[in-house]
Amino acid sequence: MLKDITIGQYYPGNSIIHKLDPRVKLMGTLVFIVTLFAFGSVGSYICATIALAIVITLSRVPLSFILRGLKAIFVLMVITALFNLFLTPGTVICRFWVLKITAEGLRMTIHMAFRLTYLIVGSSIMTLTTTPNQLTDGLETGLRAFNKIHVPVHEVAMMMSIALRFIPILMDETDKIMRAQEARGADFASGGIIKKAKALVPMLVPLFVSAFRRANDLALAMEARGYHGGAGRTKMKPLIYHRRDYVSYVIMIVYVAVMFVLWRYVKLQLPIPGLK
Amino acid sequence: MKKTAQKTMKNIIEGHGLSFLYQHFDEDGKVDFAQTALDGVDLEVEPGQFIAILGHNGSGKSTLARQLNALLLPSEGTLYVDGYDTRDESNLWNIRQSAGMVFQNPDNQIIASVVEEDVGFGPENMGIPTEDIWVRVEKALRSVGMWKMRSSSPNRLSGGQKQRVAIAGVIAMKPKCIVLDEPTAMLDPGGRAEVIRTVHELNRTEGVTVILITHYMEEVVDADRVIVMDQGKVVLTGTPKEIFSQVELLRKHRLDVPQVTLLAYELKQKGLDLPDGILSPEELLQNLDTLCGQRKQCDTETALQDTAQAADETARVVHKELRKSHTDEGRTEQIRIEHLNYIYDPGTAYERTALDDISLTIHNGEFIGIIGHTGSGKSTLIQHLNGLNRASSGRLLFSGEDIYSEGYPMRALRFKVGLVFQYPEHQLFESDVLKDVCFGPKNQGLSEEEALARAREAMRSVGLDESFEKKSPFDLSGGQKRRAAIAGILAMDPEVLVLDEPTAGLDPKGRDEILDLLKSLHEERNITIILVSHSMEDVANYVSRIIVMDEGRILYDDVPEKVFIHVKELESVGLAAPRVTYIMDALRRDSWDVDASVTTIAQARDEILRALGR
Repeated sequence: MLKDITIGQYYPGNSIIHKLDPRVKLMGTLVFIVTLFAFGSVGSYICATIALAIVITLSRVPLSFILRGLKAIFVLMVITALFNLFLTPGTVICRFWVLKITAEGLRMTIHMAFRLTYLIVGSSIMTLTTTPNQLTDGLETGLRAFNKIHVPVHEVAMMMSIALRFIPILMDETDKIMRAQEARGADFASGGIIKKAKALVPMLVPLFVSAFRRANDLALAMEARGYHGGAGRTKMKPLIYHRRDYVSYVIMIVYVAVMFVLWRYVKLQLPIPGLK
Repeated sequence: MKKTAQKTMKNIIEGHGLSFLYQHFDEDGKVDFAQTALDGVDLEVEPGQFIAILGHNGSGKSTLARQLNALLLPSEGTLYVDGYDTRDESNLWNIRQSAGMVFQNPDNQIIASVVEEDVGFGPENMGIPTEDIWVRVEKALRSVGMWKMRSSSPNRLSGGQKQRVAIAGVIAMKPKCIVLDEPTAMLDPGGRAEVIRTVHELNRTEGVTVILITHYMEEVVDADRVIVMDQGKVVLTGTPKEIFSQVELLRKHRLDVPQVTLLAYELKQKGLDLPDGILSPEELLQNLDTLCGQRKQCDTETALQDTAQAADETARVVHKELRKSHTDEGRTEQIRIEHLNYIYDPGTAYERTALDDISLTIHNGEFIGIIGHTGSGKSTLIQHLNGLNRASSGRLLFSGEDIYSEGYPMRALRFKVGLVFQYPEHQLFESDVLKDVCFGPKNQGLSEEEALARAREAMRSVGLDESFEKKSPFDLSGGQKRRAAIAGILAMDPEVLVLDEPTAGLDPKGRDEILDLLKSLHEERNITIILVSHSMEDVANYVSRIIVMDEGRILYDDVPEKVFIHVKELESVGLAAPRVTYIMDALRRDSWDVDASVTTIAQARDEILRALGR
């Protein structure tokens, strides 16, 4: 079940996209999403599609792998689409029973579908080409400014990376505990919601106990290795901008400009009858 | 780091009258629980020494280890590490850099998601410049032989490899001393050997002082000095030879001696003139040879004995045949597995054959050992026996019924085949022990009274009396927890009891107690017992049939004597024969007339005595 979720997974590779500084990728994703919503028009979607196609090709991550991430939110997208389709007021173009589809609704649906899909695909590319560690590093450095207003950026980043390291371990552990309790006749599958919730106790208690034990061990191990917060710490892999990163920033600026121009001055219309 | 009050001392570690009190405070700040973990310990370690600390679970050795790294501070007494007083807080980071620490659980001490980044964690904390971190990380990883794996995820490493990474993480901080707190307790024999070899090499080549805490006696024989702890006190200290000369005393402290030493001790008890504290097979061999320097003179006697011996030989063969037939006949078939295959994640990129055409029959009342290195498929196999895993193909019959047939009561099978997982105490969850043990019987659908009766009986049979019933399972000691967990399975009154490494992490006495418990369950209740183990000695001493697994296949399935003859083959799949078998093999190659297929100390003792004509 959990294997289907590709968001947050890393696809090992050595492409130019993989090599980019995580801060660039974070910024790029942000720019991509913001422009998608701020400058949404037919022209700008075409531009976004081209940009996305180029990035995917460069990243050498198989398209099928990226699209798998869409499966998880497919239901959400369908619901959003239905709401938009049927509940937007405007020029009615066709009508079933009490439901009516308006030109505006259709337009909205198409826009929304584009935006959501691109949002997921765009952020998937970032997470697929960036290791969780790089990502936390990128966030830590990128958000360093917030330190000034007493946001513990280093600590939050450290917690995130530890969480990422322990998620697979705890998932294994959950599986093991469930099996062990099943061996004692525990039944996690049948019964009503209350029975199911009760059945979880024999799994949750050991899991929490184990998580606390691990946390305690880890805290000791970190202390023993001289960890005392972010102050005075150096970095083994400091983030350093290379030429390709600066180039990427320039490309990003150009991209924003193009998106803006397409949205503001190129009036392409969706071929929907009755749309002004 | 700034230099603070550092005394110049000859010893890297010097502690006097160290005491430590574990205290627990209630809401009003009063002490509601206190336990002395260290009691007046004196400790002096010279630079470059290899010190081993032995002691049973709860003897205070881990508390002592944590003092050395200033993770805990002495309640009384003084401790200087590399000349720094541990009670002076300004010394803290200097001490942690001087005395690095490796812990027991390989997973819980690796912080980063990439090997090299984890090794760099310590230097990062010390504020070392980036380029120097890389130099240190490379050197550290090379010194433990893990440089090739530098960009792997720790989750993909074996236990032994993870511990080597943890050691590298400490080495990268350039400590003068490494404290290892039971670093091998959770590893398989291969991993244990890896770690101990690495530690010895660091001690030899880099001159790092090593303090190794363990309860595997074999790991201690090469130490410069051994310290034995019990109840927070140092009870014995000396060279390994001196320490292991005192077999009885060690046993009193819930410890053990290496197998060779034990064999020599047993022989001595029988009147052979052997020195105390023999630590290696060579030493034993040499001593036995000098003992029988008269052997040449014995020759004539030997000739006389030959006829007697021939008779003996036939007797032994007959005995073995008896043992064999004992397992095969006169017993009803309980579990039959036919051409069973199991494939993990079929149809995905992770597809892997975990079990490959397994066929075997288990009879009522057998005591079987399953051995195989980590990942050989033994855990997967035993989870088929109670239906937790469903075979990809093949059949599994329990009492003649196909468990994969339509409508087979799979849940009922769980109660007939009780499966005790590895570290079963991690599955305890109830507020008191009795309730926890009742969990299984209640799931069986028994009434409250019946369940309680079953639970009480199970608790008695694992040696937990009434006083434990209302205790929280989390307040028990390690060995007691394990027994409570086993009681939880026994209370379901299973016909077959399967245990996955039930002795992992226990001290020698705790290990023997669990194994003896299994033996008595087997004898008194006539339960079929299937024991998965890493320890060849445990298996050889207790079981009557061994199944050897490798890469999802059954390699051997026979009585211990016949399995352990294949020493070379076993070694090639990461296993070994019991240590006595090696000793007997060495004797045989030294032209002694002994049976090399001997697998237990008692058999070996008798064989040697026989060969000596006693």
